[in-house]
Amino acid sequence: MLWQQLANGATMGMIYALITLGLTMVYGVLRILHISHAGIFALGGYLAVLASRVSTNLAVVTAFAMLGCGVVGVLMQRWLYRPLLGESKVVSLIASIGMFTLMEDLFRLVAGPYVLPLPVRAPFGLDRFETSHMTGNQLVVLIASVVLLIAAWFIIHRTRLGLAWRATEQDFETASAFGVNIDRAVGLNFLLGSAVAGAAGALVGFYYNSVYPTMGSVPAYKAMAIAVLGGLGNVWGTVVASLILGLVETFLVISPAGLILPRDSIAFVALILVLLFRPHGLFGRR
Amino acid sequence: MGLYQVTIAITVGIFMMLAMGLNIITGYTGQVSLGHAAFFGIGAYTSALLSVKAGVPFWLALPMAAVVTGAVGAILGAISTRLHDDSLAITTIGINFVVVSVFQYSQFFGGALGVGGIEYPSVFGRALTKPEYLVVVIVCVSLGIWFDRRLVRSWLGLALRSVGQNPEAAESLGIPSARFKIAAFAIGTAYAGIAGSLYAHFMTFISARDFGFPTSISIISMAVFGGLGTLRGAILGSLALGLAPEIFRPLVNYRNLMYGALLLLMMRFQPSGLIGDGSLIWEWLRSVAARRRKTQCAPGGEA
Amino acid sequence: MRNPFRWLLIAFTGLVVCSLAVSVMGADPIKIGLHAPLTGFAAADGLSVRQSVELAVKQINDAGGINGRPIQLVIYDDRADAKEAVAVAAKLIEQDKVAAVVGGSYSAPMRAVAPIYQQAKLPMVAGFAVHPDITRAGDFVFRVGMLGPIEGAAAGEVAGKLLKAKTACQMTMDNDFGRALAEGFRARAAQLGIKIVWETLYPLGEMDFTPYLARLRQLNPDVVFTSGYYNEAAQFCKQAKEMGLKSQILGEEGFDSPKFIEIAGKAAEGVIIVTNLNRDDARPAARAFIDGYRKLYKMEPDMVGASNYDAFLVIADALRRAKSTDPKAIRDAIASTRNFDGATGIISGFNALGECTKPIQAQVVKDGQFRYYGEVSDPAIITPPDK
Repeated sequence: MLWQQLANGATMGMIYALITLGLTMVYGVLRILHISHAGIFALGGYLAVLASRVSTNLAVVTAFAMLGCGVVGVLMQRWLYRPLLGESKVVSLIASIGMFTLMEDLFRLVAGPYVLPLPVRAPFGLDRFETSHMTGNQLVVLIASVVLLIAAWFIIHRTRLGLAWRATEQDFETASAFGVNIDRAVGLNFLLGSAVAGAAGALVGFYYNSVYPTMGSVPAYKAMAIAVLGGLGNVWGTVVASLILGLVETFLVISPAGLILPRDSIAFVALILVLLFRPHGLFGRR
Repeated sequence: MGLYQVTIAITVGIFMMLAMGLNIITGYTGQVSLGHAAFFGIGAYTSALLSVKAGVPFWLALPMAAVVTGAVGAILGAISTRLHDDSLAITTIGINFVVVSVFQYSQFFGGALGVGGIEYPSVFGRALTKPEYLVVVIVCVSLGIWFDRRLVRSWLGLALRSVGQNPEAAESLGIPSARFKIAAFAIGTAYAGIAGSLYAHFMTFISARDFGFPTSISIISMAVFGGLGTLRGAILGSLALGLAPEIFRPLVNYRNLMYGALLLLMMRFQPSGLIGDGSLIWEWLRSVAARRRKTQCAPGGEA
Repeated sequence: MRNPFRWLLIAFTGLVVCSLAVSVMGADPIKIGLHAPLTGFAAADGLSVRQSVELAVKQINDAGGINGRPIQLVIYDDRADAKEAVAVAAKLIEQDKVAAVVGGSYSAPMRAVAPIYQQAKLPMVAGFAVHPDITRAGDFVFRVGMLGPIEGAAAGEVAGKLLKAKTACQMTMDNDFGRALAEGFRARAAQLGIKIVWETLYPLGEMDFTPYLARLRQLNPDVVFTSGYYNEAAQFCKQAKEMGLKSQILGEEGFDSPKFIEIAGKAAEGVIIVTNLNRDDARPAARAFIDGYRKLYKMEPDMVGASNYDAFLVIADALRRAKSTDPKAIRDAIASTRNFDGATGIISGFNALGECTKPIQAQVVKDGQFRYYGEVSDPAIITPPDK
């Protein structure tokens, strides 16, 4: 049973990591609490459902979701966040909340309030892979998330774009003086972060065979807790924090402690405890 | 005034208390709190349990709820002093969740069944009618406004605002910002405690879900929509967004959409809020007032 | 002489037709209010409620209305939020001046408004809200749905008598309904000698049951009694199948939705639930709902819809018998309901508290549809408390 629980926890952790990755990338560069990131996550699920009318291949619908969400993410940054850069942080936060509320209700109005299934199959029949320690679906999610996370790591640490992001994160003006096109870097940051969120939406929709308007509600705040826990802006911190949370939740819910503390609160209790001793998160700098 | 109007007015009044209190914490002192509903809940449950389990009359339960909530708020404020901006915001969400979980899962707080049978306040043995309850709410809101005005003109208010504008500068001037952050939390949450008590005795039934994260979002949206950092913003914002669900009722299916769009568009095009410093409406009102002063002075050149 | 006669005949017919139309349409409509969570997190249930009650209204109006008067439904969205429900109640009582109200929203908002309707002396019938204190608000409040402990006990009965289980586990959703179900199941299981080897709570909205299922798989009980709404139910069954759980899954009315079968897919086959809607029910009242819903909305009905359909029809039936729209007369007529034939079963009557007694259905999922499995009608089990 232990191996199964580890697989369970790791899968949840990877899902959290995918959802939170985009959020922490955006925060790293722009210092905005981008709550409507959860709306983009849900959009990914819906785009996947749309694409599933044409193809039943998980990889294809995920790619479609990533593309669509990337575009929407950039548009959101251009139209909403960029003009608000000079304002107080609370303003972009409330704007983001308004956007998220709008998106959730749009999903309901367009696609209906009911849960929609996502009838796709994984490539290579991976989802039918059965062992006694892990289900096929879990294997698919784990593989897909590892692939995406490695790709994200590569872009951030091995490309000039990633270098531009890390420079912008340190200091806007200096980076600009060094010839970094800040506007383009930020736009691409949102593009990629949103694309990853879209992938998360498609994968989660597949894993639970459920896409519904409020599927972003819990990730909206949980991802923020994880992002802070891992140290805002720190990609590796996010991955580690996500895995730890996934595992802790899994083992805690079936223990006696699980009766006192509901699952969604565990992230926040952990956050409060960690912040008491390390105000910048587990791996936060400055 | 019919039952319906009175009911809406009472609800808006309660939200006004909440928005005013949050404005003190987030508007004046710059401490972003996304979990204000937790204190709303603490006030409500305190008042409810005092009433139901200890038979304390409403008139006593209300101030007691304010004190208890303010005390808890001060403790949480102490925690907040260690955190910067965004970590603080997210931690306050966490506090909201943890507090609601306690209400939801602990049998002492009624658990999933909530607390019911909360006593409707009475004077000299006669239960208050709804319009009379509205008068009580109006009195509380008025006291809240009066206190806020006095606070802003006091040394404490000045200290809070300097901490809000520029914490480092405040420190270098010798103002211990930590102490004042705690004070802001204590005062702002006391407002929420009063609001909670008013809510509990009006609804006569409360449950954990009334005080969740979505409610916190409503409260801060009201303060920011009206204009963060200003009392008039908190009042107008709660009026506008408190009445919106009822005004939009004919739109049935599109209510949430309208609400989200309203917030989004206001922030995007009028970040100072409806009537905050720097907003179109406020600037217009000020220029009108300035012009009137000038025309009053102009003839004969006497002030 | 032919021409004038023809015109006279046409005029006369026209007049008769007009006066008939006027007597139904122009007749003062009877206004009935409805609370439903049309937007927000409960929007899916809100839609079921609205569609079902609108179906009932249409069926009645198409048949000529009640005592010649049509019904006008006044629906307000309360977002499943207590304070909005309070505002809605004020509006229905004072501005719309409805004759009665169908409480089609969740427990918390219904619990908040029950005392308001009692004080306004306006009858309210709750469809599927389960908070026990709702009917305790007074004699103007009634409930058509099942109480948690009773449904749980019925599940225990099914486990013991029909499934012949010796061991069981409980997966309880952590809200008032779930806990009440668990309490009922536990009590009946003890009486029947079923051993509960493990029981646990899980939070509403939970999607990942794999940690629990790993444990359940290890324990391998005969039956796992699981409570949850269709989303959680679907996830639980789907993941149970993926993980190879061998135990029989026993669910409750929260499972009762076509969405459960759609999302869970093949994993739903063989799942048994206790509920109050029998898809195979041959009674005309049940067929009117099930077939009427399928025809009008081109989708399968669910328990939420059925309960509120019946709540409305109880009011309509009372209106017919009372021959008046005076709220007190309606209330008395509801209270004296006897053997009412509803979609969810035959309601033998309402007790002093306002709770109703009716048999509980057991359904099994076969070939992607809910089918009849059994029925629990032992009065010792299905009679609700009257205080």
